[in-house]
Parts: sequence; structure tokens; C-alpha cells
Amino acid sequence: MQATEAVKLMLGIGEPLIGRLLTYDALGMRFREVKLRRDPRCPLCGTSPTIKDLSIHAEGAAGCEMTPNGHPEPVGAGAVTKAGG
Amino acid sequence: MSAIVLESKENLGIIGRMKTLKEMITEARQVVPEEGPAELQARLKSGEPVAVIDVRDPDEYRDGHLEAATNISRGFLEFRVAATVTDPKTPVVLYCQTGLRSVLAAKALKELGYEHVINLQGGYQKWVQSGFPVVRDVPMTPDQIQRYSRHFLLPQVGDKGQAKLLRSKVLLIGAGGLGSPTALYLAAAGVGTLGLMDGDTVDITNLQRQVLHTTADIGKPKVESGTRTLKALNPDINVIPLPMRITVDNVMDVIKDYDLIVDGSDNFETRYLVNDACYLAGKTNVHGSIFQFEGMATVFAPNEGPCYRCLYPTPPPPGLVPS
Repeated sequence: MQATEAVKLMLGIGEPLIGRLLTYDALGMRFREVKLRRDPRCPLCGTSPTIKDLSIHAEGAAGCEMTPNGHPEPVGAGAVTKAGG
Repeated sequence: MSAIVLESKENLGIIGRMKTLKEMITEARQVVPEEGPAELQARLKSGEPVAVIDVRDPDEYRDGHLEAATNISRGFLEFRVAATVTDPKTPVVLYCQTGLRSVLAAKALKELGYEHVINLQGGYQKWVQSGFPVVRDVPMTPDQIQRYSRHFLLPQVGDKGQAKLLRSKVLLIGAGGLGSPTALYLAAAGVGTLGLMDGDTVDITNLQRQVLHTTADIGKPKVESGTRTLKALNPDINVIPLPMRITVDNVMDVIKDYDLIVDGSDNFETRYLVNDACYLAGKTNVHGSIFQFEGMATVFAPNEGPCYRCLYPTPPPPGLVPS
């Protein structure tokens, strides 16, 4: 799926998955599509961004934890969790 | 409309004097708006529909042209334009070497009913002088023509699309469960340059899903076995092994060389880092993740749609998602 999307984007053809999340459930063998909207309060790409460089990721910095409204809140190290790969 | 007026008043039959080339160009300029290279570049970047037609001869086009341009030489323009510009409302930008042939061509297109025809002021020459990018068609080898022949049959790809893929550079972050199949398909499709970034070595537990690696590769760096597999599949492409983990210190420097980033990483820290770096660098990020029997995929294109932080403002607390 990622390869097909990459090829489409490079060729500028079809309808890329921009603003859409495609989920795949192998046990049910079902695909679902969820529309995604930009969050105007997004700390990165919102209307008044607070993340303007990568310092949030620097060693010993606040990590990348966000409060539920999407604004950075100084907390410990960023979450390091494994999910599939 | 102006052509009809000219015919009847000035050039009725052969009685009137012949028009000079200069007069023809002046007349064309009166009806065809012109835009400079910077304005065209802004149009192309905006993503709004626009058709760019190079009206020079094929040999001139092959020597260098705008990437977005389709070549329809002046003599065939009226005959072949409909295949390239299907909607007469779509803006059409024409160019030639210096902007003279194309202004006459643009006038002809206007008369055919294309509503929004623009001449590229100064033509290809001025575009190049302004420092904007051009591409040169490298003829395909007989091997390439055979290898990609099934792509040529697809009208959406064709030889032009294949040439584009061969010029493209994609960075794969992670040579694991997601990166493996993606890398194989992109290599097979003939994406010219693949950066393969992963700091891990192959473990026996990887092999049931990470299909880039084989049993003999256990203990070796994943980028080493990955590069070997990809080159074996398609020796035509360039694979750049990057045997390191992506970090805040290297991410900007690594992604700057690529057109597109494929995030096949396995942890939230990396996903936020890749998301932020891609947004700041203006790179599109093809995102995927998988957990047990469920997978998801989306594309984060800076300023065109949401980013990973719009989707997940808060990373799950450590330990919630099992390894």
C-alpha cells in the first residue's frame, strides 16, 4: 500500500491518501477509510504553530508528549514504544 | 476572433500586402497573456491544474525541458492538443526556445477555444537562466525497455512516467516489516534511487515478515542484506545503504536528498520525529503502521492535508503498546 502510494505521488496520478486514513483488518478482511482534517490547533502545522524546529526532539528536551488539546507540555522523555514494524 | 478580422480587412485574398513576422507576433501578443518563469513555477507548486506544452521539435525537447511539460511540436499542436488538455477551461502554458513560436501557437489554441492560454515569456531559455529545474530525457537501454514494458502499456505511466520514476529518489525509514515489501515493490518498479535506512541487524525473529532478509543474513546489518536483495531484484537502480538509526541530529541532512519519504518505523518517537522533519522540510511522508492483524496507511503532505500530530496529538504512554 505504501509502495503504491509512493509511485502515485511520484507520477502525480490518481488520488493519493492525503487527508484519508486507510485501515486494514486482516482477521475481518475489511478495509475502512477515515477522513482526516487538519487541526488548526496542531502545534506543528496549525494556525499558530509552537513547533518551529526539531528542538523538541533533542536529548533531554521535553520530548514529544502533548496535552490532549495538542499543545506541548513539558514532561519527561518522549514515549518509546514498539508497535509492529 | 482577431484572426477573422485580420483576414477580412487586411489580407483579403492576395490583394493585401503580406504580413511580416513581426506584425504576426505583435498581434499574437495582444491576445495572449504572458507569464514569466517565476509565475509559472508558482503555478506548478500550487498544485492547481495546469497543462504545460513544449511546442519545440522533439530533439530540442529531449535535450532539456520542463519536467511538467508535454511535447507537442508546433506543427502537430492543433491535432494533438485534445489528448493532453481535456478540459478547455484548464490553463495551458506554452513555451518554445525564446517565446516567439509559442506565442503564435498560443494564439492558435485560443482560436480553437482554449479559454486560458498563456505564453511563457522568454521561453525555455529564460526559464533556464532563472535557475529553475529542467530535465533531460536519457534514452532507455534495451534492457530497460523490456523490464518496464508493462508500465509502458499503462497510459497513466508510459515511458514518460517510467523516466520520472527512474529519476525519483525515495527514502525508506526502516527495513523491517513495512519497509521490506515497500522497498521490494519500489525497486521492482524502477524507482531510480532508494535510500535504505535502518540501524538494526537481522534477527531470526524478523524473518517471518521482513522479506528483504534471508536466513543467511542473521546477524548482518539489515541495510546490507536489504541492499543485496534489492540490487538482485533490479540491478538498474541505485540503493544507498544508511546503516544508522534516524535521530534529531541526522534527520534533516538525510531527508534533504530525497523527493519522498516512506516511514516504516516501529516506534512513536521516530514517527513524531519523521513527521516534524518532513513538515519542516516540505517533504511528503507516506506513513504506515501495523500492529498484530491491523494496519493503517496515510499520506502526510505538508500544507495539503493533516500531519501525524493532527491525527495523534498525544503519544500513548510508554508501555501501553506492547513490543
